[in-house]
Amino acid sequence: MNLIFWIKTALLFLVRSRRATAALGLMIFSAVGTLVFISAIAVGINDSMILNSTGLYSGHITGFHLSETMTRETLSVDGVSNVLQRFLIQGSLHYHAKDEMLTLIAVNPDQELKSTHLWKKIIKGRYIVDNKFEILISETTAKQFDIQPGGKVLFKSGASVYSFVVTGIFKTGIDRLDNKIAFCPASIISDLPAKWEGAVFLDPGIDISTIIASYAQKGLTTTDMKTWKELMPGLTQLIELNQISIGFVMVLVLGVVSFGIACAFAIFIINSIREYGVMKAMGVTPKETAMLIFSEVILMNLMASFAGTLAGLLAVVITSKTGIDLSKYTSHNQYFVVSGLIIPRLTAFSLFLPWVLSLAFCLFAAIWPTFIVIRQRTSDILRSI
Amino acid sequence: MIDVSNISKTFSSGSRNVIVLSDISFTLEKGKILTIIGKSGSGKTTLLNCLGGLDIPDRGRINCFGIDINCLSEKKRNLFQRKKLGFIFQSGNLLSYLTVFENIVFPLVLNAYTRQNREKRVIELLEILGLELLAKAMPHELSGGQAQRVAFARAIAHSPEMLLADEPTASLDTQTGLNLIKLMCQVGRENNTTIIVSTHDTEIIKYADTTLHLMDGKIIGN
Repeated sequence: MNLIFWIKTALLFLVRSRRATAALGLMIFSAVGTLVFISAIAVGINDSMILNSTGLYSGHITGFHLSETMTRETLSVDGVSNVLQRFLIQGSLHYHAKDEMLTLIAVNPDQELKSTHLWKKIIKGRYIVDNKFEILISETTAKQFDIQPGGKVLFKSGASVYSFVVTGIFKTGIDRLDNKIAFCPASIISDLPAKWEGAVFLDPGIDISTIIASYAQKGLTTTDMKTWKELMPGLTQLIELNQISIGFVMVLVLGVVSFGIACAFAIFIINSIREYGVMKAMGVTPKETAMLIFSEVILMNLMASFAGTLAGLLAVVITSKTGIDLSKYTSHNQYFVVSGLIIPRLTAFSLFLPWVLSLAFCLFAAIWPTFIVIRQRTSDILRSI
Repeated sequence: MIDVSNISKTFSSGSRNVIVLSDISFTLEKGKILTIIGKSGSGKTTLLNCLGGLDIPDRGRINCFGIDINCLSEKKRNLFQRKKLGFIFQSGNLLSYLTVFENIVFPLVLNAYTRQNREKRVIELLEILGLELLAKAMPHELSGGQAQRVAFARAIAHSPEMLLADEPTASLDTQTGLNLIKLMCQVGRENNTTIIVSTHDTEIIKYADTTLHLMDGKIIGN
């Protein structure tokens, strides 16, 4: 069997049957192009949810009860963009005759501003400044105390008492951040706790497991360091659900397209079945006939999928420059708490899965037309037309 | 030599059986030209199909050049058709998406001719048949006579031992049809190719060594 000959013949068939090839190819082109773009958007949505959820406060990895021998530098391994050091102080906040038990988180404001987006959730006033007795409180606390930025509060923890000026009031929409938490600069706290919490932020595209592995080499266990996937199982599930959904969309769209292709190809082949009859009379074997039809389908698919992928790629490049702002539809969603801007991003999954699925479905679609030609006796084909 | 012994063929048409060939026997020496004449439905095409292995007779034997073609497996029958046979049909012979050159070269590729030999053979045939200027033409650009000449060129390109032509002149005007038959007979004799032509044109039998007259699936004259 001369494979190259059959591929060349299939190519000639496609090139010289321009209109039919274009009509069939257009179906694949549009399906693949659309799916590449849609899956890039799905990846962008996942990215946005992760960025929103980790970027607001917690980071990609959170360290708990880290000892004083463990420093920021220890956690700043390759692939880590920033490590934020936070000290948690339990105490009570007093304003006039009111008081509230809360956790005061002492932070480095400059570093926090570099990596987190909590400042974007300030609804009144401004973020705290280093070396000043300033406090950032939640809207819940502000309402309870009936206090505005500029008001003075006392924070008592054991024997220590600190007087702070409220510089800002924040509201994230996330319960665990909006209740019983306040922030102040660590630099003004004289008796910081020995243990601290760390928020580790990674460079884009870094595999979180490699960082965890390098921390494990430094003696940090999984109880010390937890990834966002462990801390936010809801988000992890949502991302997986998004991937599964896009997989379903791809299978369904390409399934429908391949059914259309199978029908169109069958009609196309029935219309020219006499030519296949003539070829069979010349001694072309069923295997060679199958090879010809499959080559036609595969070549058409490859060409149309390639063009479709390029079109999808172009759409991703264009939209990723400005992003797609879905803030209007995400403003009440905790996973889009900072921004609803979606930046479509191509991954190997979003780039090649539509192509691979399209090819698989088209091969499936080629079975029917091949069967039509092979099962018919040559004399019946030649006699029927 | 072609030896056909007592072949019969019946087709089912709804609830009734139609006898298409009934007890057909004849022999034909290699290099001879046989015409099969008869009206439509007389069994000419079915007989040709049986000779080419496209149909299997219900009874009887067909021995072509020492090969009992009814006993061949599908694979061997394909090989027999590929190497030893050339077919010409009434119309629609050519592969519409291939040029004249590519159509003629098709059986040569199937028979594993080298590129050099293929090109040499196609050029030779184009010259013999006066088709040199049409090598790059597509089938839809050809007249009926030109298309049948290309079909003839393709059928004999691989120098088959037997050429089966099923009413090759039916879609042509009388003169063009006669010219094609003359050409077929001339080239066939030069190459010692056995030619079997079915037709209902009695003019053609002048060029044949033998003629079988079929009616209702039976030989009524030889």
